[in-house]
Amino acid sequence: MIPLEHYLIVSAALFSVGVFGILTRRNAVNVLMCIELIFNSANINLVAFSRFIEGALGGQVFALLVIVVAACEAAVALAIVMSLYRITKQVNLDKAAELKG
Amino acid sequence: MNSLLWLIPAIPGLGAAVNGLFGRHLGKRASAAIACGSVAASFLLALGFFFTRFLAEGGASARVEQSLFEWIPSMGVEWAYRLDSLSMVMTLVVTGIGLLIHIYSVGYMSHDGGFSRFFAYLNLFTFFMLNLVLGANMLLLFIGWEGVGLCSYLLIGFWFERPAAAQAGKKAFIVNRIGDAGFILAVFLTFVTFGTLDFYGVMGEIASADMQGGVLTAIGVLLFVGAAGKSAQIPLYVWLPDAMEGPTPVSALIHAATMVTAGVYMVARSGVLFSHAPAALALVATVGALTAIFAATIALFQTDIKKVLAYSTVSQLGYMFLGAGVGAFAAAIFHLMTHAFFKACLFLGSGSVIHAMEHAEHASGGHRHYTEMQDMRNMGGLLRHMPRTGWTFIVATIAIAGIPPLAGFFSKDEILWKTFEHGHFVLWGIAAAAAVMTAFYMSRQVIMTFLGDFRGGAAMEKHLHESAPSMTVPLVILAAGSVVAGFVGVPSALGGSYRLHTFLEPAIYAGGQAPPAMPHNYALEYALMALSVALAAAGIWFAWRRYRNAPTRDASLAGSGAYRLLLNKYYVDEIYDATAVNGTLRGGEGLYRLDQRVVDGAVNGSARVTMLSADLSDLSDRNVVDRAVNLVAEILGAASTRFRRLQSGLFQSYALLMLLAVVLLAGALVLWS
Amino acid sequence: MSDALASLGRFLPELLLMGALAVVIVADLATQAWSLARSRNLLVGLTLAGLGAAFVASLGEPGGGSLFASMIADDGLLGVLRPLFALTAIFTLLFSLRAKELDGARMGEMVALLLTVTAALMWMAGSVNLVMIYLSLETVSVASYIMVGYRSSDRLSNEASLKYILFGAVSTGVMLFGLSLLYGLTGTLDLYGVRAALAAEDAGPALILVLLLVAGGIGFKIAAVPFHFWCPDVYTGASTPVTAFLSVGPKAAGFAVLIRFFYSGIAQPGADGTFAAVGGVDWQGLIIVLAVVTMTLGNVAALLQTNMKRLLAYSSIAHAGTILIGAAALSSEGIGAIVTYLVIYLFMNLGAFLVVILVHRVTGTFELEGYAGFWKRSPLLTVAMGIFLFSLMGIPPFAGFFAKLYVFAAAVEAELGWLAVVGVLNSAVAAFYYIKVLRIMAVDPGDGELPALRFSRLDGALLLALVTPNVVGILFGGALEQISEIAQRLLDLA
Repeated sequence: MIPLEHYLIVSAALFSVGVFGILTRRNAVNVLMCIELIFNSANINLVAFSRFIEGALGGQVFALLVIVVAACEAAVALAIVMSLYRITKQVNLDKAAELKG
Repeated sequence: MNSLLWLIPAIPGLGAAVNGLFGRHLGKRASAAIACGSVAASFLLALGFFFTRFLAEGGASARVEQSLFEWIPSMGVEWAYRLDSLSMVMTLVVTGIGLLIHIYSVGYMSHDGGFSRFFAYLNLFTFFMLNLVLGANMLLLFIGWEGVGLCSYLLIGFWFERPAAAQAGKKAFIVNRIGDAGFILAVFLTFVTFGTLDFYGVMGEIASADMQGGVLTAIGVLLFVGAAGKSAQIPLYVWLPDAMEGPTPVSALIHAATMVTAGVYMVARSGVLFSHAPAALALVATVGALTAIFAATIALFQTDIKKVLAYSTVSQLGYMFLGAGVGAFAAAIFHLMTHAFFKACLFLGSGSVIHAMEHAEHASGGHRHYTEMQDMRNMGGLLRHMPRTGWTFIVATIAIAGIPPLAGFFSKDEILWKTFEHGHFVLWGIAAAAAVMTAFYMSRQVIMTFLGDFRGGAAMEKHLHESAPSMTVPLVILAAGSVVAGFVGVPSALGGSYRLHTFLEPAIYAGGQAPPAMPHNYALEYALMALSVALAAAGIWFAWRRYRNAPTRDASLAGSGAYRLLLNKYYVDEIYDATAVNGTLRGGEGLYRLDQRVVDGAVNGSARVTMLSADLSDLSDRNVVDRAVNLVAEILGAASTRFRRLQSGLFQSYALLMLLAVVLLAGALVLWS
Repeated sequence: MSDALASLGRFLPELLLMGALAVVIVADLATQAWSLARSRNLLVGLTLAGLGAAFVASLGEPGGGSLFASMIADDGLLGVLRPLFALTAIFTLLFSLRAKELDGARMGEMVALLLTVTAALMWMAGSVNLVMIYLSLETVSVASYIMVGYRSSDRLSNEASLKYILFGAVSTGVMLFGLSLLYGLTGTLDLYGVRAALAAEDAGPALILVLLLVAGGIGFKIAAVPFHFWCPDVYTGASTPVTAFLSVGPKAAGFAVLIRFFYSGIAQPGADGTFAAVGGVDWQGLIIVLAVVTMTLGNVAALLQTNMKRLLAYSSIAHAGTILIGAAALSSEGIGAIVTYLVIYLFMNLGAFLVVILVHRVTGTFELEGYAGFWKRSPLLTVAMGIFLFSLMGIPPFAGFFAKLYVFAAAVEAELGWLAVVGVLNSAVAAFYYIKVLRIMAVDPGDGELPALRFSRLDGALLLALVTPNVVGILFGGALEQISEIAQRLLDLA
């Protein structure tokens, strides 16, 4: 059986990739994708822990719920990005900086 | 009768509510009747308590207490009023002198558009002031304390169309915030130490446990920070002279007779605490003496009739703190009371003069600025035109100068004597020098204003006339008070029995013991008394010699450095300004470099930060933070600009800053654990 | 099954909100053909009825115990916050009738979102399970994202909404990662289970990571530095009623989650109402640092703001910092102080935003310059603003004084006197910018001859409803302490 550490390393790597992408991608859609990576890294954790801890099924349920919620959030986010695109004709985050100070 | 105590503050509060909500529809006469009537009712009630409870045998230790409801259960604080001999004296001063000033205001403000608003504020002030003096615990006193500050702010800025008035209001408010921060911290410290905020409870505990120094010193110093803000002591005095922008009755009521003395009252109320914290007491005495002389020197050459009185008030408040600081709390309250009479009289007199000047200017078709109308160089000879104002002003001047047997002599001389008796010879010297100056600048003011010939022009002179009886009657009453008020505290050396002092002591040393009286040394006391009368006479004589024939001769001093220094109030405002600007540059530069290296360096790696203008001079142009307020304000302004730059509007720089902060926090937590 | 049924009975306010939600969605669809004003009146009326019913149903003593298999605690804290959320939503709804930005907008989605968020806020305040915390937090967030971007044709509204959702998604994602690790460390999703596991065995440095990640999610909701960056931008871009709502509702719920997670999850009650951290990480320092930084940065950054909504945004950050002082006290008293503060904050902050809305109605601007000369146009509005601002400053005799008093008292009691000193000094700094607003309203000359303001009856009623608690609040220390005492009865302390 694959030991727990391996899952955790994958999830940590996924998390880091997500954070890196959030900090560096200019495109709003790319950033959204990176945020999804963070959610999924957490899901890996939840499922893996659930598998390795005696009688703790909650983690798997949690992961399912997270997937649903993340889908909702992505839908709303994409709608907002679309809406911004209609007005400014671009989705570059550097251009969305009129509110400041 | 006891159950009526709450009415003393409540009636003016009700008056304020009525005038504030419906004043516009009531008409001036009804507004004035409600305002004066409510204060009169409180005064009568207070007199009732005084005659029935406090004049009886053993009345000095009489106590009227009334708890209205449980206010803050977790701290065991009740909304409770307590009338003892100390708050009795204060209540009589606040309502009695307050009533006279209310009546005076009816005439003074009769042509002002904000008539009912003015009386609503004035009544509200009386309400809070009475809460302040009657509150049985520190928290209720604090409510009153902040409330009077709020009213003072509103009343200084009453003519807020004048930029100077709005500015002065803001300055008063902000400076008082600093003092009040000290006060509320003292409240917390007291609660933590004693588990109660009731004055008698706290003082009783200190006395019975005979605590010394330590936390008491800390509480005392914090309380005094609060007192220094409210009562305009060094270095927080700067707001009071500016506060003269308010209507003159306000200057008389709030900035001379009552609110500014709240600090002295609070120190006296905490008399037991202070007597067990000698270090705090020494601070009070030193600051008081220094303020007395410092403000007196500034008053020497001021030309604005109200500014002279303002600095004089600061100086006299210094005397009161000196008295309290050498342990003579009763003497401080004595001086507070006599000062209320003669300073209110002087302020109202100056108001009467300004009123006449402005009226005459208007009638003769002139349109000079209002500051010109308050300039004593444009006055002179007014005694002929307004004899009642003039003579009452002269009586009050003699009283403040310390000529026997007027009120000021007894109270001021007692502070001087107690200072000397307790061995503070240097402070005594300072205070004696300030006494000469007081006599000098007050006489100078009388000469420049009332004697000689009128310097405002013949056209104007024709229109000068005495003010209406509603204004002169309060003046006469106050002048009479300035003559006789001192007799309640005649020292034993002069055959008296310190009646006020024996009356006050049970309240000041509530729960504790009054320190034993020092052995009498009448010979020394007589000598010092003679000396202080001689000093006062000398001050008057100097002023007479100097200004009798040339009231405006100070103009010839324009070349003298010392004169300019005094005329410009030691350039304190300018120094605050200069250090503030320097501080800004240095503080700003430091932050700028930090920005450049740390923040920008990091941010540039992943995102470009749109930079806001870093132009520092821009900051002062913004006029956001009042330049005159202080050094702190300017540094805060610089920091604010930096923080605004962090808010670049770029999502990714936010995310990065957040990440950096989390890493820092993680590091800190790891080290901590 | 019987547990679920029994729980439903004590779930009445939320059920009423859900019922109202179903009704308004149908009503919105059914009235598509109606004139805007007519459908608007109907929808607002229905929503108001739902919120009002929920408010009434949420009053009274809380039941104690937990609901839905230990998902939600029906304890004192929830009991106090439920009506607070309903009240906030009622004010928001009435504000949105008067906000110029929402003139002519269809209200169907807005009221539906408002009902959803209100219910979700109640779930959030009651959550005692990691799953529930996450779900309710996300429900609140997703609905608020849409509310912020409600004016979909407005450039700034969209930008604000985009920043909000990106920031929110990152924060909750990060928090979720933390929760997943906590699950791994303790093997349970139940907060009280977490506490038991951590009390049995120290978790080591991994717990530090968990704490920071979770603090990120909570810090985002309450707008604590350094998780505050979205706040000024979103407050500026959103329509003002939404801003007002965000500054009170989700902030309060965020503090509830903070209390749940930190006090019930990773600390345990000790003697005489104090709490002690479990799991081997002393997190009190973390909260103290957050409090100090949040207060200071919020107040200092507010000093130079020229836009009223931004100024209030930084002011709300500063207030969050002050409330955090209560959280740092690690005592029941601290919990009570937090809730007291939130109750008073509702009235003072919503009041200030109401004035912003009314001013915007006539001037069309949120810039401070637009406030010049308001004394001449409406002394009433200026006085009301003065009362709200003085209350926000914490100056007696206004209610805001009590808010600060209890928080500082809790800190002093917990031997964090110096933290109270920092708080008091910060209050002094805050006076600068609040007083600046008043000066501009009262002193600065306005633009020539502007007509006097006319208030609708609704404006008058709203002003009265918000001014009164601020003015007379000082007399009601006893009542406040009763509320505070109820709020301190957490599930395990009842």
